Amino acid sequence: MKRKNHYAFVIDVARCIDCRACQVACSVENHVPMENTRIWVQDLGVQGEFPNLQHIFVPYNCMHCEHPPCTEVCVSGATYKDKDTGLVLVDQDACIGCGYCVDACPYNVRYLDKKRGVVDKCNACAQRLEVGLEPACVATCIGGSRLFGDLNDPVSKASVALQNARNIVRLDYEANGHDTDPNIYYINLPNMEQLNMPELFQPLVSQSGALPRAPKYTLSEQGWKHVAVPLLAAGIGASFLVQAIYFTKQLIEGEKEFEE
Amino acid sequence: MGHKNIPLPERRRLRSKMYKKHNLANILTHWFNVGMWLLLLPTGIAILSSPRLGLSPLWMQEMFRNVFGGTANLIRFHYTVGLLWIFVLVFNILVGFRRYFVPFAATRLLLDQDDIEWLKTKPLQMLGFMKDKELPPQDAYNAGQKLYMYVVIFGTIGIMVSGVVMTFNQVFPPLLKQIAQPVHWVSVFSIVAGLIIHVYMGAVFPEEKEAFFSMFSGKVSAWYARAHHEKWYNEKLREEMAWEDLVRQELARSAEQHAQEQPATAD
Repeated sequence: MKRKNHYAFVIDVARCIDCRACQVACSVENHVPMENTRIWVQDLGVQGEFPNLQHIFVPYNCMHCEHPPCTEVCVSGATYKDKDTGLVLVDQDACIGCGYCVDACPYNVRYLDKKRGVVDKCNACAQRLEVGLEPACVATCIGGSRLFGDLNDPVSKASVALQNARNIVRLDYEANGHDTDPNIYYINLPNMEQLNMPELFQPLVSQSGALPRAPKYTLSEQGWKHVAVPLLAAGIGASFLVQAIYFTKQLIEGEKEFEE
Repeated sequence: MGHKNIPLPERRRLRSKMYKKHNLANILTHWFNVGMWLLLLPTGIAILSSPRLGLSPLWMQEMFRNVFGGTANLIRFHYTVGLLWIFVLVFNILVGFRRYFVPFAATRLLLDQDDIEWLKTKPLQMLGFMKDKELPPQDAYNAGQKLYMYVVIFGTIGIMVSGVVMTFNQVFPPLLKQIAQPVHWVSVFSIVAGLIIHVYMGAVFPEEKEAFFSMFSGKVSAWYARAHHEKWYNEKLREEMAWEDLVRQELARSAEQHAQEQPATAD
């Protein structure tokens, strides 16, 4: 079934100048506490050999994956993939801030808001989209590096940018039965051959470790899934079986309530 | 079984004679607990929507979310009822601590040698072995009930503590909230595993019919007590005999007094 919208970010890596206005706009718009940030820009330094040099900056935010590993682990469904827009959102009234999803996200885009006791992440400024505005980071981007739009709409900014892109890279995580299928399209990466960088994905590996990383599952979540559930399923099954046998016996033999 | 040798008129007399097994506080707390569980268990199952764990059917998740108006409201309902449940249970236990809880824990909760023997024999008998072996006499609660009582007590504490941790999510650190979720679930479903047997035995199983009605009236017949809880029955008899002795002594003493006073007034 096709969704109403297929929102996606398109990030023109060649146009980012690391001004971080997007980060400020995001924090102001979404009241992000000072010690946290929903989005960030990774400085990959000067790449290549003289005279073919380029300083590369990679803006990050939530990939709003098609198959997000984070919603898989949420016990209550507080974080979910919106059926209409395809955005991965957190219902903070339902969230208790346990952080299962923080560990599961392959892109480290979630953080625990310790003061409010909930998880917070990029929601593509859903409150702005509702009234027809672009996300704050996109609206404020001076260089036009961050673009946002509906891929179902062939003339949206994102669709047009994708059509005219020199090259397109997605940070897809495809392993261990996962295929995140992210909705950030990095376009116009520096010419790899010219920069003497053989691997296309190389520039998008951050200093804090490779992204995407494998989803992690907390010990309690794993113990729950692999130990507690089978044990108690067996217990409840056995209990139900005993009850069912006695009940069948009772039905067949008839009731002997009073032994006169 | 031994009680079959008793003549019919005596059996009928025993059946019409009632002993008090549960006090009103106990009965009311039990049915309050039932009501709260009926509200909390379905909503709790409906909240569990992790696809990775796959613990509840999708139709149930969606139905409850539609009825209550979204995940947040469903959770709010669940913890509001849960907090009420915690408050009333804790209040009842604290208020009735010396009068009800301590005697209950001291006389009805502890497992003795007979109970251990019962636990060794009964499961084998249910599987069809040792059918001819007589079960040891049981207290007001049999060993199976006692064992389940421990599951319920520790499970209830587990549910309450983990529930409070998850409800006040601003106060507790993430690690505690992570552990609280499986603890909550394991506690609930350990109780549910026994609950299936508890409900069947209490409400459907023909031999235990009296147990069901005793949860309303508080009383069981002497016949039922003798057949299922012989030790408790004997204790009740001993109490009765002691009381009768007391009455007899009292009567004798008053007759003596009367006899002493009588000559004085006659003159």
